Amino acid sequence: MAARALLLRATARCCSPLHSPTAAPRLHPRLRSHAAAAAPQLRFPALSFSASAASTSSHGPSGGDAGEGEDDKGAYENYLGMSDDELMAQCDMGTFKSSGPGGQHRNKRESAVRLRHHPTGIVAQAVEDRSQHKNRSSALSRLRTLIALKVRRPINLDNYTPPVELLQILPLKSTIRSKDVGSQIGPNNPKFSPGMQALLDLLFAVEGSVSEAAKILGLSTGALSRLILSDDSLRAAANELRASKGLKPLR
Amino acid sequence: MLSLSARPILSAFLPKPKPRRLLLLLRPRRSSASASALTPPTPRTTTPDPPEDADPTPLFLRPPTHPVPEASLAAFRRRAAALVPPSAPHLHRHLRWLLADASAPAPSGADPAAPHLLRAPLDELEALWLRHVRDRRPFQYVVGNEHWKDLVVAVRDGVLIPRPETETVVDMVAAVEGFQDGWWADLGTGSGAIAVAVARMLGPGGRVFATDVSEVAVEVARLNVQRYGVQDKVEIRRGSWFEPLEDVKGKLMGVISNPPYIPTDDLPGLQPEVGWHEPKLALDGGKDGLDHLLHLCEGLSSALMPGGFFVFETNGNKQSEFLVDFISTKWSSSFCDVEAVLDFADIKRFVRGYRR
Repeated sequence: MAARALLLRATARCCSPLHSPTAAPRLHPRLRSHAAAAAPQLRFPALSFSASAASTSSHGPSGGDAGEGEDDKGAYENYLGMSDDELMAQCDMGTFKSSGPGGQHRNKRESAVRLRHHPTGIVAQAVEDRSQHKNRSSALSRLRTLIALKVRRPINLDNYTPPVELLQILPLKSTIRSKDVGSQIGPNNPKFSPGMQALLDLLFAVEGSVSEAAKILGLSTGALSRLILSDDSLRAAANELRASKGLKPLR
Repeated sequence: MLSLSARPILSAFLPKPKPRRLLLLLRPRRSSASASALTPPTPRTTTPDPPEDADPTPLFLRPPTHPVPEASLAAFRRRAAALVPPSAPHLHRHLRWLLADASAPAPSGADPAAPHLLRAPLDELEALWLRHVRDRRPFQYVVGNEHWKDLVVAVRDGVLIPRPETETVVDMVAAVEGFQDGWWADLGTGSGAIAVAVARMLGPGGRVFATDVSEVAVEVARLNVQRYGVQDKVEIRRGSWFEPLEDVKGKLMGVISNPPYIPTDDLPGLQPEVGWHEPKLALDGGKDGLDHLLHLCEGLSSALMPGGFFVFETNGNKQSEFLVDFISTKWSSSFCDVEAVLDFADIKRFVRGYRR
């Protein structure tokens, strides 16, 4: 909980342009323009998906299937499907208070790490551990959570099938969830982030309507609300999205 | 022990009567001790901290043989926290780490009422804490370690505390083709951090020769090599830079060094933790800070095998730019791909290249 709270504070401070009530819808065209501008040099991470993400493709770059009406989905990077090294390569790392000459000049045990993810402008940091090494990896996993919360990818509702990462975080009683999806993944599992991102994408596509999203996911509205409320950062992001559509927050 | 817990809370401004042993340690050592904690006074002209700890074993490695009741420990925690000035909130974190390093891990299912087992008597911890907070003795010397990369590197007075920037050097070694089976030299190894981290990545044919002119450094490096069980990979030799490496001349796949590079004139302005307490031998790079770096460059071509790699840490931008330029013009026939490499704060911290 404390870590999540810290994370949200970090977001509020470092990503304020993305954090205003109307920001979520604005991020979308911004990302689109980024993706369009950078298209020629885009590295498609699909080629090096980690094993956990390799089985899914419904929201990933769609490769050669241009004829299937998947249109421009391929222009959206699947950041959460990237390996740590690939994601790190898109980041700037600075110490939290980076100042002065550093090196032998300085004794700084806090080892704060601050990662700035260039494509999205998202900043994640970690200061808790004694080792910069460990702080770097917690900052990276925090970055993954922030990307899940902040980066919205468009969904075509007409032929939408929820990706497996999303199915994995749904309660077992979901009627669209088959047995081979396995047990439910909770907020403490690193694989929760990709599912959370897909859930927010869907919620964004249905204009923040929990009952609409619940119908698509084979759940009761109450069950989906409980899932959203089970994680503080997910709840905050969902409510921000709902507020931007003029809806009341979930409690 | 019990009498300690009953003592009133220590205040930074109202010294209370203390046992004589503490008084001795608390005696102001500098005329400037009253200056603001943030303005570094002139560094002491004597050598860094004389070995005050009777026991040279780093605190975190001593046996936990001192039982302390929970109440006494809680009282210590309160007294110690009360010494932390509002300007230095990070010291609360240090206090937590100090207690973690000084305590034996509680066995699972232990009686919560049982006394804690500490690695030093409580009054010694108290003295150590005061010297950290008031004398700005580096926290790493207090607990005797630094968490560096995935290692816990033992350190003590007289040896440079490894810096987070230097972690990158190990990654650069790992990026050299075939590094696993090469012979490497870590010159001025200090605590041995680089040597141990590199050794842990090596294959059966790989080896690290770690040199240092300081006797304390050699001792501490030995300890770290032992702690990580890389005795068969790291050979520590006492001596200055290339001196102890005559027999491996021309056979090295790589030379690594984080030599002293701070210009002498900058020493008085250093952060007190560094300037007052760390060994000048490991910091002072001479007039422009380049004395040792240039010496290292001179020795490179005869030490490295053809195609061999080198990386040095430097004082930053200007020094790195100078060295890149110097090596590429003066020895263009001996070296190639010489370049400066940024650290995580975007300072050109390293110079690396290959022997032709």
